[in-house]
Amino acid sequence: MNADEPTTPRDEPLEPHPAEGEVLYKETFRIIGNDFEHGGEAAARVKAILKQLAFPTDAIRRLSIANFEAEMNVIMYADDAEMELAVLPDAVRVTFADHGQGIPDIAWAMQEGNSTATPEMRARGFGAGLGLPNIKRNSDEFSISSIVSVGTTLCYVVYVNGSNRGAQ
Amino acid sequence: MIDRPHAVATDPGKCIGCVACSQACPTKAIRVRNDLAAIDDELCIDCGTCIEACAYDAIRPRTSSPADLRKFKYTVAVPSLTLYAQFGDDVLPGRVLHGLRQLGFDETYDISWMCEMVASATDAFLSESKGPWPKISVTCPAVVRLIQIRYPDLIPNLVPIETPRELAAKLRRRRLAAERGLDPSEIGMFFITPCTAIIHSIESPEGLEASYLDGAFAITDVYGQLLKAIKHDPGSDSTEMISPRGLRWAMAGGEISSMRNANTITVRGLRDVVYVFDRIESGTFQGLDFIEAYICPGGCVGGQLTVAGRYLAQRNIRQLARRMGDQGAVKEEKVRSLLRDHFFDIESEIRARQVRPLARDLRQAIALKREKDALLEHLPRKDCAACGAPDCETLADDIVRGNAKLADCVFVRLEELEGKPALQQGGDDA
Repeated sequence: MNADEPTTPRDEPLEPHPAEGEVLYKETFRIIGNDFEHGGEAAARVKAILKQLAFPTDAIRRLSIANFEAEMNVIMYADDAEMELAVLPDAVRVTFADHGQGIPDIAWAMQEGNSTATPEMRARGFGAGLGLPNIKRNSDEFSISSIVSVGTTLCYVVYVNGSNRGAQ
Repeated sequence: MIDRPHAVATDPGKCIGCVACSQACPTKAIRVRNDLAAIDDELCIDCGTCIEACAYDAIRPRTSSPADLRKFKYTVAVPSLTLYAQFGDDVLPGRVLHGLRQLGFDETYDISWMCEMVASATDAFLSESKGPWPKISVTCPAVVRLIQIRYPDLIPNLVPIETPRELAAKLRRRRLAAERGLDPSEIGMFFITPCTAIIHSIESPEGLEASYLDGAFAITDVYGQLLKAIKHDPGSDSTEMISPRGLRWAMAGGEISSMRNANTITVRGLRDVVYVFDRIESGTFQGLDFIEAYICPGGCVGGQLTVAGRYLAQRNIRQLARRMGDQGAVKEEKVRSLLRDHFFDIESEIRARQVRPLARDLRQAIALKREKDALLEHLPRKDCAACGAPDCETLADDIVRGNAKLADCVFVRLEELEGKPALQQGGDDA
Protein backbone atom coordinates (compact mmCIF):
# COMPACT_ATOMS: atom_id res chain seq x y z
CA MET A 1 0.00 0.00 0.00
CA ASN A 2 2.52 2.62 1.14
CA ALA A 3 5.46 3.17 3.43
CA ASP A 4 3.22 2.58 6.41
CA GLU A 5 2.82 -1.06 5.44
CA PRO A 6 2.36 -2.69 8.83
CA THR A 7 4.31 -5.71 9.88
CA THR A 8 3.41 -8.53 12.15
CA PRO A 9 4.10 -8.00 15.83
CA ARG A 10 6.61 -10.50 17.18
CA ASP A 11 4.29 -12.41 19.41
CA GLU A 12 1.31 -12.71 17.06
CA PRO A 13 1.41 -15.62 14.66
CA LEU A 14 -0.03 -14.45 11.38
CA GLU A 15 -2.27 -16.91 9.60
CA PRO A 16 -1.43 -17.94 6.07
CA HIS A 17 -2.13 -15.09 3.70
CA PRO A 18 -5.75 -15.18 2.49
CA ALA A 19 -6.68 -16.51 -0.88
CA GLU A 20 -4.96 -15.10 -3.85
CA GLY A 21 -6.47 -15.58 -7.24
CA GLU A 22 -7.57 -13.73 -10.27
CA VAL A 23 -9.29 -10.54 -9.18
CA LEU A 24 -12.34 -10.18 -11.40
CA TYR A 25 -13.63 -6.98 -9.89
CA LYS A 26 -12.17 -4.46 -7.52
CA GLU A 27 -13.55 -1.39 -5.84
CA THR A 28 -12.23 0.74 -3.02
CA PHE A 29 -14.04 2.78 -0.42
CA ARG A 30 -12.68 5.40 1.91
CA ILE A 31 -13.81 5.30 5.52
CA ILE A 32 -13.27 8.30 7.78
CA GLY A 33 -12.71 8.03 11.53
CA ASN A 34 -15.50 9.38 13.73
CA ASP A 35 -17.86 9.61 10.76
CA PHE A 36 -20.75 7.95 12.57
CA GLU A 37 -23.22 9.65 10.27
CA HIS A 38 -22.17 7.41 7.40
CA GLY A 39 -21.40 4.35 9.49
CA GLY A 40 -22.36 1.15 7.69
CA GLU A 41 -22.69 2.73 4.27
CA ALA A 42 -19.66 1.07 2.71
CA ALA A 43 -20.87 -2.30 3.97
CA ALA A 44 -24.30 -1.57 2.50
CA ARG A 45 -22.80 -0.62 -0.88
CA VAL A 46 -20.74 -3.77 -1.00
CA LYS A 47 -23.85 -5.75 -0.23
CA ALA A 48 -25.75 -4.09 -3.09
CA ILE A 49 -22.90 -4.85 -5.50
CA LEU A 50 -22.70 -8.51 -4.51
CA LYS A 51 -26.46 -8.91 -4.85
CA GLN A 52 -26.24 -7.70 -8.45
CA LEU A 53 -23.43 -10.15 -9.05
CA ALA A 54 -25.61 -13.07 -7.93
CA PHE A 55 -23.60 -14.05 -4.87
CA PRO A 56 -25.44 -16.51 -2.63
CA THR A 57 -27.42 -14.92 0.17
CA ASP A 58 -25.51 -16.69 2.91
CA ALA A 59 -22.11 -15.56 1.64
CA ILE A 60 -23.39 -11.99 1.37
CA ARG A 61 -24.84 -12.16 4.86
CA ARG A 62 -21.60 -13.36 6.45
CA LEU A 63 -19.48 -10.89 4.54
CA SER A 64 -21.82 -8.03 5.42
CA ILE A 65 -21.58 -8.76 9.14
CA ALA A 66 -17.78 -8.75 8.89
CA ASN A 67 -17.74 -5.61 6.74
CA PHE A 68 -19.97 -3.72 9.11
CA GLU A 69 -17.86 -4.64 12.14
CA ALA A 70 -14.66 -3.67 10.35
CA GLU A 71 -16.13 -0.41 9.08
CA MET A 72 -17.34 0.57 12.54
CA ASN A 73 -13.94 -0.30 13.98
CA VAL A 74 -12.39 2.26 11.66
CA ILE A 75 -15.01 4.85 12.52
CA MET A 76 -14.56 4.30 16.24
CA TYR A 77 -10.81 3.84 16.51
CA ALA A 78 -8.88 4.92 13.41
CA ASP A 79 -8.19 8.18 11.57
CA ASP A 80 -9.17 6.82 8.18
CA ALA A 81 -8.97 3.69 6.12
CA GLU A 82 -9.14 2.30 2.65
CA MET A 83 -11.46 -0.63 2.24
CA GLU A 84 -10.79 -2.77 -0.78
CA LEU A 85 -13.34 -5.17 -2.17
CA ALA A 86 -11.86 -7.85 -4.43
CA VAL A 87 -14.15 -10.31 -6.15
CA LEU A 88 -12.35 -13.57 -6.93
CA PRO A 89 -13.81 -16.46 -8.94
CA ASP A 90 -15.04 -18.32 -5.84
CA ALA A 91 -14.61 -15.83 -3.05
CA VAL A 92 -14.72 -12.25 -1.93
CA ARG A 93 -11.69 -10.72 -0.25
CA VAL A 94 -11.92 -7.54 1.77
CA THR A 95 -8.92 -5.62 3.00
CA PHE A 96 -9.07 -2.74 5.46
CA ALA A 97 -5.86 -0.72 5.74
CA ASP A 98 -6.20 2.03 8.30
CA HIS A 99 -4.10 4.81 9.68
CA GLY A 100 -4.49 5.24 13.38
CA GLN A 101 -3.57 4.18 16.85
CA GLY A 102 -3.07 0.51 15.98
CA ILE A 103 -3.69 -2.43 18.29
CA PRO A 104 -0.93 -3.05 20.87
CA ASP A 105 -2.05 -6.56 21.78
CA ILE A 106 -3.87 -8.36 18.99
CA ALA A 107 -4.29 -11.60 20.93
CA TRP A 108 -6.09 -9.62 23.65
CA ALA A 109 -8.29 -7.80 21.13
CA MET A 110 -9.24 -11.08 19.50
CA GLN A 111 -10.82 -12.34 22.71
CA GLU A 112 -14.54 -11.84 23.04
CA GLY A 113 -15.50 -9.22 25.56
CA ASN A 114 -12.26 -7.25 25.41
CA SER A 115 -12.82 -3.73 24.23
CA THR A 116 -11.31 -0.29 24.53
CA ALA A 117 -14.59 1.43 23.59
CA THR A 118 -15.47 4.64 25.38
CA PRO A 119 -18.74 5.00 27.30
CA GLU A 120 -20.10 7.09 24.38
CA MET A 121 -19.47 4.24 21.95
CA ARG A 122 -21.06 1.77 24.34
CA ALA A 123 -24.08 4.02 24.62
CA ARG A 124 -24.51 3.62 20.87
CA GLY A 125 -24.61 -0.12 21.24
CA PHE A 126 -20.99 -0.75 20.28
CA GLY A 127 -18.00 -1.77 22.33
CA ALA A 128 -19.17 -5.20 23.42
CA GLY A 129 -15.75 -6.51 22.49
CA LEU A 130 -17.15 -8.75 19.79
CA GLY A 131 -15.95 -6.90 16.71
CA LEU A 132 -12.78 -8.72 15.68
CA PRO A 133 -13.93 -12.15 16.90
CA ASN A 134 -17.16 -11.63 14.96
CA ILE A 135 -15.25 -10.82 11.77
CA LYS A 136 -13.18 -13.93 12.18
CA ARG A 137 -16.22 -16.06 12.93
CA ASN A 138 -18.07 -14.90 9.83
CA SER A 139 -15.17 -15.25 7.42
CA ASP A 140 -13.39 -18.29 6.02
CA GLU A 141 -9.90 -16.80 6.12
CA PHE A 142 -8.73 -14.02 8.36
CA SER A 143 -5.50 -12.18 9.06
CA ILE A 144 -4.62 -9.08 10.99
CA SER A 145 -1.46 -7.10 11.59
CA SER A 146 -0.91 -3.85 13.36
CA ILE A 147 1.72 -1.30 14.33
CA VAL A 148 1.02 0.95 17.27
CA SER A 149 0.62 4.59 16.24
CA VAL A 150 0.72 3.63 12.57
CA GLY A 151 -2.28 1.50 11.77
CA THR A 152 -3.91 -1.85 11.32
CA THR A 153 -4.39 -4.02 8.27
CA LEU A 154 -7.21 -6.49 8.31
CA CYS A 155 -7.91 -8.98 5.57
CA TYR A 156 -10.60 -11.60 5.36
CA VAL A 157 -12.13 -13.86 2.76
CA VAL A 158 -15.59 -15.32 2.42
CA TYR A 159 -15.90 -18.22 0.02
CA VAL A 160 -18.98 -18.40 -2.16
CA ASN A 161 -19.73 -21.89 -0.94
CA GLY A 162 -17.58 -21.56 2.13
CA SER A 163 -17.94 -23.95 5.01
CA ASN A 164 -17.18 -21.05 7.36
CA ARG A 165 -14.82 -23.07 9.47
CA GLY A 166 -14.86 -20.35 12.10
CA ALA A 167 -18.58 -20.65 12.78
CA GLN A 168 -19.82 -22.02 16.07
CA MET B 1 -41.12 -16.79 -8.96
CA ILE B 2 -44.59 -15.53 -9.80
CA ASP B 3 -47.56 -17.40 -8.49
CA ARG B 4 -50.67 -15.28 -8.93
CA PRO B 5 -51.54 -11.96 -10.50
CA HIS B 6 -50.84 -8.90 -8.43
CA ALA B 7 -53.56 -6.84 -6.83
CA VAL B 8 -52.97 -3.83 -9.03
CA ALA B 9 -53.65 -3.54 -12.75
CA THR B 10 -53.33 -0.74 -15.27
CA ASP B 11 -56.37 0.30 -17.28
CA PRO B 12 -55.06 1.00 -20.82
CA GLY B 13 -58.11 3.12 -21.53
CA LYS B 14 -57.28 5.54 -18.74
CA CYS B 15 -53.47 5.51 -18.54
CA ILE B 16 -52.01 8.50 -20.35
CA GLY B 17 -48.41 7.36 -19.97
CA CYS B 18 -47.26 9.99 -17.50
CA VAL B 19 -44.57 8.76 -15.13
CA ALA B 20 -46.08 9.57 -11.74
CA CYS B 21 -46.59 5.92 -10.74
CA SER B 22 -43.20 4.86 -12.03
CA GLN B 23 -41.45 7.52 -9.96
CA ALA B 24 -43.52 6.77 -6.87
CA CYS B 25 -43.01 3.01 -6.90
CA PRO B 26 -40.76 2.00 -4.01
CA THR B 27 -39.40 -1.12 -5.70
CA LYS B 28 -39.00 0.46 -9.16
CA ALA B 29 -41.42 -2.06 -10.59
CA ILE B 30 -43.12 0.21 -13.15
CA ARG B 31 -41.94 1.14 -16.63
CA VAL B 32 -43.90 3.40 -18.94
CA ARG B 33 -43.62 2.17 -22.50
CA ASN B 34 -45.76 3.28 -25.41
CA ASP B 35 -47.75 5.55 -23.10
CA LEU B 36 -48.77 2.71 -20.85
CA ALA B 37 -47.59 1.90 -17.34
CA ALA B 38 -46.53 -1.74 -17.09
CA ILE B 39 -46.05 -3.37 -13.69
CA ASP B 40 -43.26 -5.89 -13.23
CA ASP B 41 -44.69 -8.86 -11.35
CA GLU B 42 -41.35 -9.89 -9.92
CA LEU B 43 -40.73 -6.57 -8.21
CA CYS B 44 -44.25 -5.48 -7.22
CA ILE B 45 -45.05 -5.69 -3.50
CA ASP B 46 -48.69 -4.61 -3.92
CA CYS B 47 -48.24 -1.63 -1.65
CA GLY B 48 -50.67 0.44 -3.72
CA THR B 49 -48.43 3.50 -3.86
CA CYS B 50 -49.10 3.67 -7.61
CA ILE B 51 -52.85 3.86 -7.05
CA GLU B 52 -52.33 6.89 -4.83
CA ALA B 53 -49.89 8.46 -7.27
CA CYS B 54 -52.12 8.13 -10.32
CA ALA B 55 -54.16 11.23 -11.06
CA TYR B 56 -56.13 9.46 -13.81
CA ASP B 57 -57.59 6.57 -11.85
CA ALA B 58 -55.77 4.29 -14.28
CA ILE B 59 -54.40 1.83 -11.75
CA ARG B 60 -57.10 -0.20 -10.12
CA PRO B 61 -57.20 -2.91 -7.46
CA ARG B 62 -58.25 -6.39 -8.49
CA THR B 63 -61.13 -6.99 -6.10
CA SER B 64 -63.78 -9.67 -5.91
CA SER B 65 -67.05 -9.13 -7.77
CA PRO B 66 -70.60 -9.65 -6.46
CA ALA B 67 -70.80 -12.68 -8.74
CA ASP B 68 -68.11 -14.34 -6.62
CA LEU B 69 -70.54 -14.42 -3.70
CA ARG B 70 -72.84 -16.72 -5.66
CA LYS B 71 -70.19 -19.42 -5.79
CA PHE B 72 -70.77 -20.19 -2.13
CA LYS B 73 -73.68 -21.56 -0.11
CA TYR B 74 -72.94 -19.29 2.82
CA THR B 75 -71.06 -16.01 2.75
CA VAL B 76 -69.27 -14.10 5.49
CA ALA B 77 -68.01 -10.53 5.37
CA VAL B 78 -64.87 -10.06 7.47
CA PRO B 79 -64.39 -6.30 7.68
CA SER B 80 -61.06 -4.65 8.29
CA LEU B 81 -61.32 -2.59 11.49
CA THR B 82 -60.69 0.38 9.24
CA LEU B 83 -64.23 0.00 7.92
CA TYR B 84 -65.59 1.02 11.35
CA ALA B 85 -63.51 4.19 11.09
CA GLN B 86 -65.15 5.42 7.89
CA PHE B 87 -68.23 6.81 9.60
CA GLY B 88 -68.98 9.49 12.14
CA ASP B 89 -69.88 9.20 15.79
CA ASP B 90 -73.49 8.17 15.23
CA VAL B 91 -72.57 4.99 13.37
CA LEU B 92 -71.16 2.45 15.77
CA PRO B 93 -69.67 -0.91 14.64
CA GLY B 94 -72.96 -2.72 15.33
CA ARG B 95 -74.67 -0.67 12.65
CA VAL B 96 -71.81 -1.15 10.21
CA LEU B 97 -72.02 -4.92 10.67
CA HIS B 98 -75.80 -4.80 10.33
CA GLY B 99 -75.57 -2.73 7.17
CA LEU B 100 -72.96 -5.02 5.68
CA ARG B 101 -75.38 -7.93 5.90
CA GLN B 102 -77.91 -5.96 3.85
CA LEU B 103 -75.37 -5.94 1.00
CA GLY B 104 -75.81 -9.67 0.50
CA PHE B 105 -73.62 -11.42 3.06
CA ASP B 106 -75.16 -14.10 5.25
CA GLU B 107 -73.17 -12.95 8.24
CA THR B 108 -70.40 -10.62 9.34
CA TYR B 109 -67.46 -11.46 11.52
CA ASP B 110 -65.55 -8.95 13.62
CA ILE B 111 -61.77 -9.38 14.05
CA SER B 112 -61.01 -6.83 16.80
CA TRP B 113 -60.94 -9.50 19.49
CA MET B 114 -58.57 -11.60 17.39
CA CYS B 115 -56.29 -8.56 17.10
CA GLU B 116 -56.15 -8.42 20.86
CA MET B 117 -55.43 -12.17 21.00
CA VAL B 118 -52.58 -11.84 18.55
CA ALA B 119 -51.08 -8.94 20.52
CA SER B 120 -51.15 -11.15 23.57
CA ALA B 121 -49.67 -14.09 21.67
CA THR B 122 -46.93 -11.81 20.33
CA ASP B 123 -46.06 -10.81 23.89
CA ALA B 124 -45.76 -14.45 24.85
CA PHE B 125 -43.65 -15.17 21.78
CA LEU B 126 -41.29 -12.26 22.48
CA SER B 127 -40.73 -13.38 26.05
CA GLU B 128 -39.59 -16.80 24.84
CA SER B 129 -37.79 -15.86 21.63
CA LYS B 130 -34.02 -15.91 21.37
CA GLY B 131 -33.83 -13.43 18.53
CA PRO B 132 -32.67 -12.21 16.12
CA TRP B 133 -33.84 -8.81 17.32
CA PRO B 134 -35.83 -6.75 16.74
CA LYS B 135 -38.76 -8.95 15.80
CA ILE B 136 -40.92 -7.49 13.06
CA SER B 137 -44.70 -7.74 12.77
CA VAL B 138 -46.19 -9.55 9.77
CA THR B 139 -49.44 -7.57 9.93
CA CYS B 140 -48.74 -5.45 6.84
CA PRO B 141 -48.34 -7.82 3.87
CA ALA B 142 -46.50 -5.18 1.86
CA VAL B 143 -43.87 -5.01 4.59
CA VAL B 144 -43.47 -8.78 4.41
CA ARG B 145 -43.08 -8.62 0.61
CA LEU B 146 -40.58 -5.80 0.90
CA ILE B 147 -38.52 -7.89 3.29
CA GLN B 148 -38.68 -10.89 0.96
CA ILE B 149 -37.33 -9.04 -2.02
CA ARG B 150 -35.17 -6.32 -0.52
CA TYR B 151 -34.19 -7.40 3.00
CA PRO B 152 -33.97 -11.21 2.88
CA ASP B 153 -31.63 -11.15 5.88
CA LEU B 154 -34.51 -9.86 8.00
CA ILE B 155 -36.77 -12.84 7.32
CA PRO B 156 -35.69 -14.53 10.59
CA ASN B 157 -36.82 -11.35 12.38
CA LEU B 158 -40.44 -11.79 11.27
CA VAL B 159 -42.81 -12.84 14.04
CA PRO B 160 -44.06 -16.32 13.08
CA ILE B 161 -47.60 -15.57 14.20
CA GLU B 162 -50.40 -15.48 11.64
CA THR B 163 -52.38 -12.26 11.11
CA PRO B 164 -55.67 -11.65 12.95
CA ARG B 165 -57.67 -11.59 9.69
CA GLU B 166 -56.48 -15.05 8.64
CA LEU B 167 -56.82 -16.52 12.12
CA ALA B 168 -60.34 -15.13 12.47
CA ALA B 169 -61.34 -16.58 9.10
CA LYS B 170 -59.79 -19.92 9.97
CA LEU B 171 -61.64 -20.12 13.27
CA ARG B 172 -64.99 -18.95 11.95
CA ARG B 173 -64.90 -21.21 8.92
CA ARG B 174 -64.16 -24.21 11.08
CA ARG B 175 -66.99 -23.41 13.50
CA LEU B 176 -69.49 -22.52 10.80
CA ALA B 177 -68.86 -25.76 8.97
CA ALA B 178 -69.61 -27.69 12.15
CA GLU B 179 -72.61 -25.56 13.15
CA ARG B 180 -74.28 -25.57 9.75
CA GLY B 181 -73.20 -28.94 8.46
CA LEU B 182 -71.41 -27.35 5.52
CA ASP B 183 -68.24 -28.37 3.81
CA PRO B 184 -65.63 -25.66 4.58
CA SER B 185 -65.32 -25.03 0.84
CA GLU B 186 -69.01 -24.10 0.63
CA ILE B 187 -68.39 -21.12 2.89
CA GLY B 188 -67.19 -17.94 1.21
CA MET B 189 -65.27 -15.55 3.45
CA PHE B 190 -64.58 -12.08 2.04
CA PHE B 191 -62.37 -9.45 3.59
CA ILE B 192 -63.48 -5.83 3.35
CA THR B 193 -60.08 -4.35 2.69
CA PRO B 194 -58.48 -0.95 3.09
CA CYS B 195 -55.55 -1.81 0.82
CA THR B 196 -54.21 -3.75 -2.14
CA ALA B 197 -51.53 -5.54 -0.14
CA ILE B 198 -54.13 -7.62 1.68
CA ILE B 199 -55.86 -8.50 -1.61
CA HIS B 200 -52.63 -9.99 -2.87
CA SER B 201 -51.97 -11.71 0.46
CA ILE B 202 -55.24 -13.57 -0.05
CA GLU B 203 -54.30 -14.55 -3.62
CA SER B 204 -50.75 -15.59 -2.78
CA PRO B 205 -50.30 -15.76 0.97
CA GLU B 206 -46.96 -15.92 2.74
CA GLY B 207 -46.72 -18.17 5.76
CA LEU B 208 -49.78 -20.13 4.63
CA GLU B 209 -50.34 -22.72 1.94
CA ALA B 210 -53.66 -21.09 1.11
CA SER B 211 -55.54 -18.17 2.57
CA TYR B 212 -58.52 -18.83 4.81
CA LEU B 213 -60.21 -15.96 3.01
CA ASP B 214 -61.78 -16.36 -0.43
CA GLY B 215 -61.54 -12.82 -1.72
CA ALA B 216 -61.74 -9.15 -0.88
CA PHE B 217 -63.92 -6.15 -1.58
CA ALA B 218 -62.45 -2.69 -1.28
CA ILE B 219 -63.87 -0.35 1.35
CA THR B 220 -64.22 2.19 -1.48
CA ASP B 221 -66.35 -0.31 -3.42
CA VAL B 222 -68.84 -1.05 -0.64
CA TYR B 223 -68.91 2.35 1.03
CA GLY B 224 -71.70 4.00 -0.97
CA GLN B 225 -74.09 1.07 -0.75
CA LEU B 226 -73.23 0.51 2.88
CA LEU B 227 -73.95 4.11 3.79
CA LYS B 228 -77.32 3.83 2.08
CA ALA B 229 -78.11 0.59 3.89
CA ILE B 230 -77.16 2.10 7.25
CA LYS B 231 -79.35 5.14 6.66
CA HIS B 232 -82.23 3.02 5.44
CA ASP B 233 -82.17 0.54 8.32
CA PRO B 234 -81.30 1.76 11.82
CA GLY B 235 -80.78 -1.81 13.06
CA SER B 236 -77.64 -2.84 14.86
CA ASP B 237 -75.91 -6.20 15.27
CA SER B 238 -74.44 -7.39 18.52
CA THR B 239 -71.10 -5.88 19.45
CA GLU B 240 -70.51 -8.22 22.36
CA MET B 241 -67.48 -9.72 20.65
CA ILE B 242 -65.81 -6.43 19.83
CA SER B 243 -62.62 -5.67 21.72
CA PRO B 244 -62.19 -1.91 22.15
CA ARG B 245 -58.49 -2.47 22.70
CA GLY B 246 -58.24 -4.53 19.54
CA LEU B 247 -59.89 -1.75 17.53
CA ARG B 248 -56.70 0.25 17.77
CA TRP B 249 -55.00 -2.15 15.35
CA ALA B 250 -56.60 -0.13 12.58
CA MET B 251 -54.07 2.60 13.12
CA ALA B 252 -50.31 2.66 13.34
CA GLY B 253 -49.32 2.24 16.96
CA GLY B 254 -52.37 0.16 17.77
CA GLU B 255 -50.58 -3.12 17.75
CA ILE B 256 -47.94 -2.16 20.31
CA SER B 257 -50.46 -0.21 22.38
CA SER B 258 -52.17 -3.44 23.34
CA MET B 259 -48.93 -5.26 24.13
CA ARG B 260 -47.25 -5.63 27.48
CA ASN B 261 -43.70 -5.42 26.13
CA ALA B 262 -42.85 -1.72 25.87
CA ASN B 263 -39.46 -2.05 24.19
CA THR B 264 -41.21 -1.52 20.88
CA ILE B 265 -41.67 1.06 18.16
CA THR B 266 -44.06 1.81 15.34
CA VAL B 267 -42.63 2.67 11.93
CA ARG B 268 -45.02 4.57 9.72
CA GLY B 269 -44.89 4.89 5.97
CA LEU B 270 -42.68 3.45 3.30
CA ARG B 271 -39.88 5.98 3.58
CA ASP B 272 -39.45 5.36 7.29
CA VAL B 273 -39.76 1.61 6.84
CA VAL B 274 -36.87 1.68 4.36
CA TYR B 275 -34.87 3.94 6.69
CA VAL B 276 -35.31 1.58 9.64
CA PHE B 277 -34.85 -1.68 7.72
CA ASP B 278 -31.66 -0.38 6.09
CA ARG B 279 -30.30 0.24 9.55
CA ILE B 280 -31.45 -3.02 11.09
CA GLU B 281 -29.84 -4.82 8.18
CA SER B 282 -26.57 -2.96 8.56
CA GLY B 283 -26.54 -3.42 12.32
CA THR B 284 -26.92 0.20 13.44
CA PHE B 285 -30.41 -0.17 14.85
CA GLN B 286 -30.23 -2.27 17.97
CA GLY B 287 -31.72 -2.77 21.38
CA LEU B 288 -35.39 -3.12 20.43
CA ASP B 289 -37.64 -6.13 20.90
CA PHE B 290 -40.41 -5.48 18.42
CA ILE B 291 -41.26 -3.31 15.44
CA GLU B 292 -44.71 -2.68 14.10
CA ALA B 293 -44.24 -1.40 10.56
CA TYR B 294 -46.71 -0.16 7.97
CA ILE B 295 -46.21 0.82 4.37
CA CYS B 296 -49.13 3.27 4.71
CA PRO B 297 -48.21 6.27 6.85
CA GLY B 298 -51.12 6.04 9.26
CA GLY B 299 -51.32 2.27 9.34
CA CYS B 300 -54.37 0.51 7.89
CA VAL B 301 -56.60 3.59 8.26
CA GLY B 302 -54.32 5.16 5.65
CA GLY B 303 -54.93 2.46 3.03
CA GLN B 304 -55.49 3.54 -0.58
CA LEU B 305 -58.92 1.92 -0.72
CA THR B 306 -60.51 3.96 2.06
CA VAL B 307 -62.87 6.91 2.04
CA ALA B 308 -62.49 8.88 5.27
CA GLY B 309 -58.76 9.44 4.96
CA ARG B 310 -56.26 8.60 7.64
CA TYR B 311 -56.64 11.62 9.89
CA LEU B 312 -60.40 11.46 10.33
CA ALA B 313 -60.29 7.67 10.48
CA GLN B 314 -57.70 7.78 13.25
CA ARG B 315 -59.83 10.14 15.21
CA ASN B 316 -62.90 7.96 14.63
CA ILE B 317 -61.15 4.81 15.85
CA ARG B 318 -59.80 6.49 18.96
CA GLN B 319 -63.22 7.89 19.69
CA LEU B 320 -64.84 4.48 19.17
CA ALA B 321 -62.38 2.67 21.41
CA ARG B 322 -62.98 5.22 24.13
CA ARG B 323 -66.76 5.09 23.83
CA MET B 324 -66.71 1.32 24.02
CA GLY B 325 -64.70 1.34 27.22
CA ASP B 326 -61.13 1.00 25.91
CA GLN B 327 -60.80 -2.41 27.52
CA GLY B 328 -59.58 -5.79 26.54
CA ALA B 329 -62.03 -8.61 25.92
CA VAL B 330 -59.63 -11.50 25.83
CA LYS B 331 -58.73 -13.91 28.60
CA GLU B 332 -55.06 -14.68 28.94
CA GLU B 333 -55.62 -18.36 29.75
CA LYS B 334 -57.44 -18.70 26.45
CA VAL B 335 -54.45 -17.22 24.59
CA ARG B 336 -52.05 -19.51 26.40
CA SER B 337 -54.03 -22.63 25.64
CA LEU B 338 -54.31 -21.65 21.97
CA LEU B 339 -50.57 -20.96 21.90
CA ARG B 340 -49.92 -24.45 23.22
CA ASP B 341 -52.10 -25.84 20.44
CA HIS B 342 -50.02 -23.84 17.92
CA PHE B 343 -53.18 -22.11 16.77
CA PHE B 344 -51.33 -18.85 16.07
CA ASP B 345 -48.35 -20.33 14.21
CA ILE B 346 -47.72 -19.47 10.61
CA GLU B 347 -48.09 -22.65 8.62
CA SER B 348 -45.30 -22.41 6.10
CA GLU B 349 -41.89 -20.83 5.88
CA ILE B 350 -41.62 -17.29 4.55
CA ARG B 351 -38.87 -17.37 1.93
CA ALA B 352 -36.66 -14.80 0.30
CA ARG B 353 -37.60 -13.80 -3.23
CA GLN B 354 -34.33 -13.17 -4.91
CA VAL B 355 -34.63 -10.31 -7.30
CA ARG B 356 -32.86 -11.04 -10.56
CA PRO B 357 -29.12 -10.43 -10.50
CA LEU B 358 -27.51 -8.96 -13.61
CA ALA B 359 -26.53 -12.47 -14.69
CA ARG B 360 -26.20 -15.89 -13.08
CA ASP B 361 -22.62 -16.26 -14.23
CA LEU B 362 -20.19 -14.18 -12.16
CA ARG B 363 -17.96 -13.05 -15.02
CA GLN B 364 -20.95 -12.11 -17.12
CA ALA B 365 -22.54 -10.26 -14.22
CA ILE B 366 -19.33 -8.31 -13.63
CA ALA B 367 -19.13 -7.42 -17.32
CA LEU B 368 -22.71 -6.15 -17.20
CA LYS B 369 -22.07 -4.20 -14.02
CA ARG B 370 -19.09 -2.47 -15.67
CA GLU B 371 -21.24 -1.71 -18.68
CA LYS B 372 -23.96 -0.34 -16.44
CA ASP B 373 -21.52 1.87 -14.51
CA ALA B 374 -20.14 3.21 -17.79
CA LEU B 375 -23.62 3.94 -19.10
CA LEU B 376 -24.50 5.76 -15.93
CA GLU B 377 -21.55 8.07 -16.49
CA HIS B 378 -23.16 9.16 -19.75
CA LEU B 379 -26.71 9.53 -18.53
CA PRO B 380 -27.80 12.99 -17.32
CA ARG B 381 -28.59 11.88 -13.73
CA LYS B 382 -31.66 14.07 -13.71
CA ASP B 383 -33.92 11.13 -12.93
CA CYS B 384 -36.67 12.74 -15.02
CA ALA B 385 -38.23 9.36 -15.85
CA ALA B 386 -39.17 10.54 -19.34
CA CYS B 387 -37.50 7.39 -20.72
CA GLY B 388 -40.08 5.26 -18.95
CA ALA B 389 -37.77 4.03 -16.20
CA PRO B 390 -38.06 5.82 -12.85
CA ASP B 391 -34.46 7.09 -12.80
CA CYS B 392 -31.18 7.01 -14.71
CA GLU B 393 -29.73 4.12 -12.76
CA THR B 394 -32.75 1.95 -13.50
CA LEU B 395 -32.53 2.89 -17.19
CA ALA B 396 -28.88 1.81 -17.22
CA ASP B 397 -29.93 -1.42 -15.56
CA ASP B 398 -32.70 -1.97 -18.11
CA ILE B 399 -30.30 -1.28 -20.99
CA VAL B 400 -27.69 -3.81 -19.93
CA ARG B 401 -30.43 -6.38 -19.44
CA GLY B 402 -31.63 -5.69 -22.98
CA ASN B 403 -34.95 -4.17 -21.95
CA ALA B 404 -34.30 -0.59 -23.05
CA LYS B 405 -31.97 1.38 -25.26
CA LEU B 406 -29.82 4.44 -24.71
CA ALA B 407 -31.89 6.43 -27.20
CA ASP B 408 -34.82 6.14 -24.79
CA CYS B 409 -33.13 8.97 -22.88
CA VAL B 410 -34.38 12.32 -24.15
CA PHE B 411 -31.15 14.07 -23.15
CA VAL B 412 -29.08 11.61 -25.12
CA ARG B 413 -31.35 12.13 -28.13
CA LEU B 414 -31.11 15.89 -27.76
CA GLU B 415 -27.34 15.68 -27.82
CA GLU B 416 -27.58 13.63 -30.98
CA LEU B 417 -29.80 16.26 -32.58
CA GLU B 418 -27.40 18.98 -31.60
CA GLY B 419 -24.64 16.93 -33.17
CA LYS B 420 -22.59 16.61 -30.04
CA PRO B 421 -20.43 13.53 -30.23
CA ALA B 422 -21.36 12.81 -26.67
CA LEU B 423 -21.29 9.07 -26.77
CA GLN B 424 -19.56 6.30 -28.51
CA GLN B 425 -22.70 4.21 -28.33
CA GLY B 426 -24.54 5.42 -31.39
CA GLY B 427 -24.29 9.12 -30.65
CA ASP B 428 -22.44 9.98 -33.84
CA ASP B 429 -24.68 8.70 -36.56
CA ALA B 430 -27.04 11.70 -36.63
